[in-house]
Amino acid sequence: MPETVYIGPYRPQLVEPERFELLVEGNIIIDARLELGYMHRGIEKLFTTRTYAQNIALAERICGICSGIHTLCYAQTVERLMGIDVPERAKYLRCIYMELERLHSHYLWFGILAHSLHEHEAFLKIMGERERVQDLLEYLTGNRMNYLINTIGGVRRDITPEKAEKIRRTLKELKPLSDYIMSLLDDNGAFTKKTKGVGVLPRERALDVGAVGPTLRGSGIASDIRKEDPYAAYDKLDFQVIVERDGDVRAKALVRARETYESMKIIEQALDNLPPGDIVAKPGEPKVGEEVGRTEAPRGELVYYIRSNGTNIPERVKVRTPSYANNFAILEMLKGERLENARAVIESIDPCFACTDRVTIVDAKTGRRRIIALR
Amino acid sequence: MAKISVYRFLSAGCNGCDVEILECLVPRYKLADLGIEVVERPEEANVLILTGGVNVKGKEELLKTYETINPPKIVIAVGNCALTKEIFDKGYPMVGPPDQIIPVNYYVPGCPPRPQAIVKAVADILGVKIEEKEDYWLAPEGFRGKHEFDREKCMGCGTCAQVCTADAIDVIDGPDKRIVRVNYGHCSFCAVCQDECPTQAIRLTREYHLVTNNRQTTMVSNEVDLLSCSVCGGTFIPEKQIDWALKRITTEKVPAYSEFSNEILSAMKICMVCRRSIKNIREAKRLLTRLSEKVRGF
Repeated sequence: MPETVYIGPYRPQLVEPERFELLVEGNIIIDARLELGYMHRGIEKLFTTRTYAQNIALAERICGICSGIHTLCYAQTVERLMGIDVPERAKYLRCIYMELERLHSHYLWFGILAHSLHEHEAFLKIMGERERVQDLLEYLTGNRMNYLINTIGGVRRDITPEKAEKIRRTLKELKPLSDYIMSLLDDNGAFTKKTKGVGVLPRERALDVGAVGPTLRGSGIASDIRKEDPYAAYDKLDFQVIVERDGDVRAKALVRARETYESMKIIEQALDNLPPGDIVAKPGEPKVGEEVGRTEAPRGELVYYIRSNGTNIPERVKVRTPSYANNFAILEMLKGERLENARAVIESIDPCFACTDRVTIVDAKTGRRRIIALR
Repeated sequence: MAKISVYRFLSAGCNGCDVEILECLVPRYKLADLGIEVVERPEEANVLILTGGVNVKGKEELLKTYETINPPKIVIAVGNCALTKEIFDKGYPMVGPPDQIIPVNYYVPGCPPRPQAIVKAVADILGVKIEEKEDYWLAPEGFRGKHEFDREKCMGCGTCAQVCTADAIDVIDGPDKRIVRVNYGHCSFCAVCQDECPTQAIRLTREYHLVTNNRQTTMVSNEVDLLSCSVCGGTFIPEKQIDWALKRITTEKVPAYSEFSNEILSAMKICMVCRRSIKNIREAKRLLTRLSEKVRGF
């Protein structure tokens, strides 16, 4: 007889609160539903009460982890609306900062994955080593998170030769961490045992539900906005779009692990080819009209839509975050999965919200609640 | 106090603070040495760490969680959203800040606070001293921490308040003084005020250890004298701003005007209302004619 299992909304163990309603028969999930809204802050309305320049800090606070890419996507869209040409140096600097962000975001994801797989040692090691990226970002931008490095027309802080040297040193120190993560994911690795064959999202279903980013690339589709619709200086930098075919949690992990090497490659190239010049262009005036901008956030495609009425305050800002697109992939992946794997599956898309290690089971017939630990 | 078990609760923030709290578990911050553990069920906890400004949906859950945790029920609000809702202050679903809903004992300002700040705050609350030998306890050059006014340079123009991304800066006019006040508990630490200040008077320092038990105290302010209108006697603009503007006109922008400094100054000392009276308009026009004659040479 089917039972309903609630995961969340509170008892947040990791990041954010959200509620999943799973219909379970025996130990197998047969249907899943998602309830959102515990993090709702009315941001799109707030966008229309501030000036373009002030909004950039608001865009940053949509998500504290991929904060930089939000400001970049917003700034690029506004730049198109204002007809600003960003200096070449700023474009390269943007690539460097954004790839550093991808590194810290992917490492954080591995830390959280280790946590949800109960690999405490790996969790501490990954999170500990990740501090190197955070320290570097703090040194470069002035804040560990929400660093507001992008601005309309360019970037706010330059990379001097000393800073470039520090970045190169840190990248060298980070390579062993990526190697360590790869070793966890190889055939006998600790992660492989618990994630292989779990939460499979087949290629066709991934397309149907509109998955983006590493979730889509883990299902065998080479889709990356940095290649498809290059922004900043990505068209001049050489990197590979990582694809894995299995579609399970391990494939998504492998995509991210291999992407950390690509990010390091991009940063090194950008540092080598950094052109001289200004880092910020003069701001312009917004024309009446509308613009759409998209970027590749660590979690996938991020889309901004901005409509301007010619004043200094936008008329409408619409944001489509990658986690929103991937939520439907979670529901797809949960169906047919064993209950104990639910947490790893939910974590696998790197959702911007947390799950829990405890769920309440409601007996569908009697309405009786019982609480179990989700391992 | 017995063992400290911390339970984390987040509603309507950006989750940056939550990640930084998670980061505190890393061995280098020595949170474990203080005898603290992070638990995953509220019934096991006796300390609640809050992040986020709490929205409509989170309110009930917050009350429930607070009921569940064990005495002494110490509540620590981490991050500026948990202090004042920060940038989401005017968001329609927001019902916080949390201290409107449950009692909050301590506040840790920051956006997000560094893990170092959170660890130090917890150590302070427990009354333990932590050794800070390593480099990372010191914030790097260019860090955006607590604000500082250069009282000599600040002229009270209020540019910072206009460009502020989080409405954290207030300009309050008294009878003869103007107060420019930064509430760093409401600040997003974006440092746009520092970039835009015409006299480089406001600066974000490397100070990040800002824990407090009263969120009304998270203020940094500067006072400037206001100037009285030479016609009606009411105060309307800071003295220093007039000096700055005059200097800018007569030395930087149009050096040829320097011989009219006194006339320009007396025109500037008339308040907005009095400037519109007939007599003063005539005088202003006369001055403008002389100024344009000087520049154009006729």
